[in-house]
Amino acid sequence: MFPMNTRILIVDDMKTMRIVIKRALLALGFADVAEADDGDNALIAVEAAVREQRPYKLIISDWTMARVSGLDFLKKIRAHEVMSKVPFLMITAESDAAQVKEAITAGVSNYVTKPFTQDTVKLKLEEIWKKHAS
Amino acid sequence: MTKPVLNASFVKIFAMAALETLQTQCSFKATAGKPFPKGSGETMDTAIAGVIGITSSMFRGSIALCFPEATFLNVMSGMLGEKYTVIDKDLEDGAAELLNIIFGCAKKSLAAGGHTVERAIPSIVRGKGIEVRHMSKAPILVIPFHSENGGFQIEMVLE
Repeated sequence: MFPMNTRILIVDDMKTMRIVIKRALLALGFADVAEADDGDNALIAVEAAVREQRPYKLIISDWTMARVSGLDFLKKIRAHEVMSKVPFLMITAESDAAQVKEAITAGVSNYVTKPFTQDTVKLKLEEIWKKHAS
Repeated sequence: MTKPVLNASFVKIFAMAALETLQTQCSFKATAGKPFPKGSGETMDTAIAGVIGITSSMFRGSIALCFPEATFLNVMSGMLGEKYTVIDKDLEDGAAELLNIIFGCAKKSLAAGGHTVERAIPSIVRGKGIEVRHMSKAPILVIPFHSENGGFQIEMVLE
């Protein structure tokens, strides 16, 4: 599993869902959890963290956001000079096959379909960590 | 040719999606009642609603997830793990988010039956005793839901 001091960024334009995800992460023992309310602000947060030499080690993003979608944000992260390999968990309310394929092609590490429980988040993070560590 | 799209299976899919969403995401266990045309059944004092436009090759319309204040606060308390006593700005988008998730669940079931359906970004309506205005003039169907922590309704109108 990811170390409990992993620096994590949650990206979602819905405040309530950011609270749900943060609550799940805190309950799992993670302590360094930041939030961004859309893809643009997430990129600003990512750049700032890189400048501080404390880059995020895990990104959890919603797919459907009003301005920059989670998929577009993922593509920007995968094209980033420093952040291209960061584990990226996508959260989505609509998991049709075409969407999943698109996310895999873009380099998503794993995805969670809403509605979800804390146990699902834990399982998906463990799966990512296994892949990441191997 | 116009097909009657608000058939029983379509309504059931959305009702099941709502029950699954609220139980899994909010630990809120409810049961669905018998759907009725709006105006001919039980009424509810809606304080907040999420509204979403939906389209497919066969129909277009809108769906509203409507909560009285007490029910919404109970649902949000279950979802966010804290007790809430007022619907503040932070809680408002919960109605839209839940509707997003319900739509996603329903879309998956509809896709299994060969139906594709798309949605717009949801909006939120707030107020005291509000009535959601749907864009369509077609009859509105209400699915009532009941629970020991309060009732809520889904309004559906498709044409």
